[in-house]
Amino acid sequence: MTLAPPEGVGASPKPLALKALREPHPERHLVLRPTRLRAWQVGVGALFVAGCAFAGVLVGPYDLSPLEVFTAIAAKLGIAGAHSSPLATAVVWEIRLPRVALGALVGAMLSVAGAAYQGAFFNPLADPYLLGVASGAGLGATVALVYFGAASASVLSSVPVAAFLGAVTAVAATFALGRSRSGARSPTTLVLAGVAVAAFFTAIQTFIQQQHFGSLQIVYDWLLGTLATAGWSQVGLVAPYIALAAGALYACRRLLDALSVGDEEANSFGVRADRVRLAVVVAATFGTAAAVSVSGLIGFVGIIVPHTVRLLAGPSYRRIIPLSLLFGAGFLVLADLAARTVLSPAELPLGVVTASLGAPFFLVVLRQARRVQ
Amino acid sequence: MTTTTARSPRAYLLRATALAVTLIVSTAPTVATPALAARVPATVRTTPTASTGPIESTGPIEGTGPIEGTGHTESAAFPVSISSADGKVTIPARPTRILCLSASATQMLYSIGAGHQVVGVDEYSTWPPGAPRTKFTGAETNAEDYLYLHPDLVIFAFSEGKVIQQLKALGIPALLLPPAEGFSGVYQQVDELGLATGHEAAAQRLDRSLARFLASEQQRAANAGRGRTYYIELSPDYYTATSKTFIGAEFSLFGMRDIADAASHGGSYPQISAEYLLKANPDYVFLADTVCCKVTPANFAKRPALSLLQAVKSHHVYGVNDSVASEWGPHTVEEFVAFLAHLLRP
Repeated sequence: MTLAPPEGVGASPKPLALKALREPHPERHLVLRPTRLRAWQVGVGALFVAGCAFAGVLVGPYDLSPLEVFTAIAAKLGIAGAHSSPLATAVVWEIRLPRVALGALVGAMLSVAGAAYQGAFFNPLADPYLLGVASGAGLGATVALVYFGAASASVLSSVPVAAFLGAVTAVAATFALGRSRSGARSPTTLVLAGVAVAAFFTAIQTFIQQQHFGSLQIVYDWLLGTLATAGWSQVGLVAPYIALAAGALYACRRLLDALSVGDEEANSFGVRADRVRLAVVVAATFGTAAAVSVSGLIGFVGIIVPHTVRLLAGPSYRRIIPLSLLFGAGFLVLADLAARTVLSPAELPLGVVTASLGAPFFLVVLRQARRVQ
Repeated sequence: MTTTTARSPRAYLLRATALAVTLIVSTAPTVATPALAARVPATVRTTPTASTGPIESTGPIEGTGPIEGTGHTESAAFPVSISSADGKVTIPARPTRILCLSASATQMLYSIGAGHQVVGVDEYSTWPPGAPRTKFTGAETNAEDYLYLHPDLVIFAFSEGKVIQQLKALGIPALLLPPAEGFSGVYQQVDELGLATGHEAAAQRLDRSLARFLASEQQRAANAGRGRTYYIELSPDYYTATSKTFIGAEFSLFGMRDIADAASHGGSYPQISAEYLLKANPDYVFLADTVCCKVTPANFAKRPALSLLQAVKSHHVYGVNDSVASEWGPHTVEEFVAFLAHLLRP
């Protein structure tokens, strides 16, 4: 892409060339066209999240009418005149609400991290686990489950802490190793270093798992991901990290648009591509590590949600980042609702639902988008 | 390379869904929890030891303790054919070097007098204490690992990969005895092992003595459990067992009802939601994840909303050894049934 020369340069060019200059260049058109987030888009996203959250709070194996659910919430909030049985209040307030809240937080974080990684690494297959978060968290959780045991009821349980530390360590190792001899970190070397680090961490994790066969089942349960044990303590534990990380990635949305023209071009507008990438990796890593530390490794959300948003709302990260946040939150709440109602009162593994619900929907969106183009 | 196939969560998903049902019952911890030991009457209490001395013939229950091998053979006509869960298995001659990779089958072998034919058991076979324990888990991926013991029969509780095929190719018969469904499944496996080892009559005696024991414990409880509901927890994320399983049969013996039966379309070992647990509000809660996951009645009660459960309020939450839900050998079954009868008796 070339930048347009300032007005007045080349005062007497040939008429044809002048016309060519005035014609909007197709690529420049793409970059310069305003792609601001529209209010209606945010509105649709917010409605989606609200709808999914309502459904999540209203539906469950314990029979409660919508009125009873709202009365329970009102009673808990101390609104005068609202009376609810202790059991109904506990079901709504201690079981359903934290599960919905945690699902929304984790879904939002995984989606926004996936979107940011796809932008920062120009890689459509990038997901939040690109640089080794998943294998690091898996190793941390396995060590905690095998060597310390873990009552997942306890907020002081060693598993979230170990998973978080493992995830951060793996990405730090990727970043330390993913530089060429000249000291530059290209997206490619980082992604390849991520593959190597993930393989190494997974090897250790697999080894520990095989050595402690008796813990195999709880390790697998964790790796599959679940919100079945969600409580307010977990929500409180991860909400600050996820809020900070998502906020930082939201602040990077324009810079991600600038990166989409390539590192050298971005540098020529004064955007330091490597610094943007570092900021994105740090924020996405902390957020994703916090999310998986309480939910386990929920797959597919971080790829499917940002791509669906991109296909529906266009390629600008000014739209993709905030809309991924909203649709990711709603999607995971919906997937978890399916996980606990399809075979109710039995539960399905959440990862099974995210993939089986998400993949066909994603393919439909992909076909629609191709037809439009 | 196995490490790369397990890299993505999707890969884990595939591996785990294939294994889920077998794995949930293959966790076999080795420590008796004080919670269970303290409530079991002294006559049935055993202390697991690391002793490798000669096997004592005084078992916890009269008639079903390990029987000292006398070497005498019953009039079994080899070769025998057995319909194992893995297809028909032919055992050409009476095995004398058995490798048993199932804690439950180990209990059965020693209880029918086939102990002297055993050359190795897996690391989770804690009873009888003197059994020749190895480092094997039954999850080995290469049959060659077993060959140093020169086994002439290998017994598995579950099968992963191609180890059984490999053994067959090596001409070593392998029996697959998966988690029993109810007591009939236990009797059937005892009979199969009797046939496979040349101890058919002793196997039938064990069946009869086990059935007698169950009937006497049922009487001891005097219908006190009839209609009472229970939840047996296998892991803190609410995996449980339905009444179709062997552990379910142990509760059904006393007329107890399993709250997980409503979730049986999720399999014999389904995961239920915490909300359903609150709705079902069982009379009794048994925590069979005290070893794997350090769950205790105290920290169970601290989980969101669970302090409202009737079982928590009336102190009917019991921590038990994880093995009660993962071992269906006569020793574990009798110990847990005795514990239940003691608990329920009026």
